[in-house]
Amino acid sequence: MSPVRLQLPDFCTPRALLAVLVIVSLTAMLLALSSAGFDGLFLTELAHGLMFLVWVGLAGAALLCRLRGHIATQSVARGSAVVLSVLAVLIAVLSEAAYWVLASPELNPENLWGLPPGHHLLFVLRNVLMGLIVTSLALRYFYVAQQWRLNVESQARARVNALQARIRPHFLYNSMNTIASLTRSDPSRAEEAVQDLADLFRANLNEKRSLITLKEELEAARIYQRIEQLRMGERLKVRWEVKELPMLALVPALTVQPLLENAIGHGVENMEGGGTVTVEGTEADGVIVLRVRNPLPLDGAPGRGGHGIALDNIRERLQLIFGAGAQTRSGREGDEFVVELRFPALLTPPEMAS
Amino acid sequence: MKLRAIVVDDEELARVRLSALLKELDQVEVVGEAKNASEALALLPKLDPDLLYLDVRMPGMSGVELARHLATLDDPPAVIFTTAYDEHAMAAFETEAVGYLLKPVRREKLAAATERARQLTRTQLGAIAATNTRTHLAVRQRDGLRLLKIEDVICLLAEQKYTTVRHTGGEDLIDDSLRTLETEFGNRFVRVHRSALVNRDYIEAIERTAEGQHQIRLRGREERMPVSRRLASELKAHFQIPG
Repeated sequence: MSPVRLQLPDFCTPRALLAVLVIVSLTAMLLALSSAGFDGLFLTELAHGLMFLVWVGLAGAALLCRLRGHIATQSVARGSAVVLSVLAVLIAVLSEAAYWVLASPELNPENLWGLPPGHHLLFVLRNVLMGLIVTSLALRYFYVAQQWRLNVESQARARVNALQARIRPHFLYNSMNTIASLTRSDPSRAEEAVQDLADLFRANLNEKRSLITLKEELEAARIYQRIEQLRMGERLKVRWEVKELPMLALVPALTVQPLLENAIGHGVENMEGGGTVTVEGTEADGVIVLRVRNPLPLDGAPGRGGHGIALDNIRERLQLIFGAGAQTRSGREGDEFVVELRFPALLTPPEMAS
Repeated sequence: MKLRAIVVDDEELARVRLSALLKELDQVEVVGEAKNASEALALLPKLDPDLLYLDVRMPGMSGVELARHLATLDDPPAVIFTTAYDEHAMAAFETEAVGYLLKPVRREKLAAATERARQLTRTQLGAIAATNTRTHLAVRQRDGLRLLKIEDVICLLAEQKYTTVRHTGGEDLIDDSLRTLETEFGNRFVRVHRSALVNRDYIEAIERTAEGQHQIRLRGREERMPVSRRLASELKAHFQIPG
């Protein structure tokens, strides 16, 4: 997954500008309320504050509009730092300008803001500090809103992925062909195959439970193997080394079975002499490690590649449930292709990662 | 006289069913079964079939590639493809009007396809192939075809009418022109001369003779291949040799 970036709204749009003006006005009102006291100067204070803050708001929006592309390439921390420092400098410059206007006896003979002389630096620093606080709050809001949106998106994607992970048409038609053949030669095995296929589809089409026990998932994978075994006969061997696994641990449905499907479809099935797929699982310190290994057909044989889609799919669904606790790895090891999944052994459903 | 047919499929149960259906239909006589392309080729001279039922997806060589090789024969057998599901192939079968059957095969469709079965042209088959790159080259022999793995081919040399294939097991002639071979196998072979393509994997070094001519030293071979002046710089750039 790509690292999280800070996505600011586009401050060039009228909508965002309006939002900036609203924030600025509310800030000005807050300031006026807090400093006006009880002597009826609220409106005056508000007017002064607004006059200054509207400049800050509009200039800040213009700057962020220009910097948006750059910020989107930075990490959240660096992006936020850029935004904060740009606005700090802007506020400092504008405060300095305001001070010169306000403190000048010619331009402001009545000293409307009642700036006591000698508070130059304090005036600038105070404004910068207030500006940073308001900006930080806004950034935090943008970040939370963005995270929420990403989360909604990834949940939707996970649902689509779960749909896509379902059994491929090729498998269905081939199985039907096998059963059609067995119906003549060996009706009782044909009957078993139909039952296996029904169970497999029941497990696959189960919409309600996205989390199932490891035992159920391994059983689905074994049924899948039985059906493929009928088709491929001696050419397919599967070694199961999963006795050590905590069978009640929860996994997303379709975690192991698609890996077995891949190992057969991209590996063993393309080898004239067939081969052995190994499914091995261990658990240590509450972490489950599942590995599916298959021999690789010689270079140039059909059906290479394509491991990726199913694996991306599983990776995303694991991450949605286990967050950073889930890790996947895949690649060549010697003359085998190995996929490895690591995730925490959980017996009760976790809260969805937020 | 009934047509003589061979059923080629890597799955035993698929072969059993198709053969049983064909027996019932009584249009053709199933004279043999093969579980992959090389078995099928071995049966060819012995059984001399008129018709092949060819599974598209098989380990080793696909049914489509096998059919392409068969099409180089003077009087190739007719071909009907069978497939469980292959969107690309199915679309191509339709546009090329090539006979095919979807598994599980229906009796009446099998009868109709068998009725219409015919020889396929190389052009038709080229259009069907999922990738245009074959895994083998077919060499015609008195009693059929012999297949050379493309990775065993060292170089391809253009002759007057034919192309010589120099491979790890000797030399053979094929019909394909050097130009079409270059288009098809451009990833694996590199042109070193107007009339020669060399398998990159067999290029050990590029040398310079006393006369300033470039030549290639081939892995595990005594003889050298001359490199044309024009192609020498391209070749060196490709192998990132300075100078």
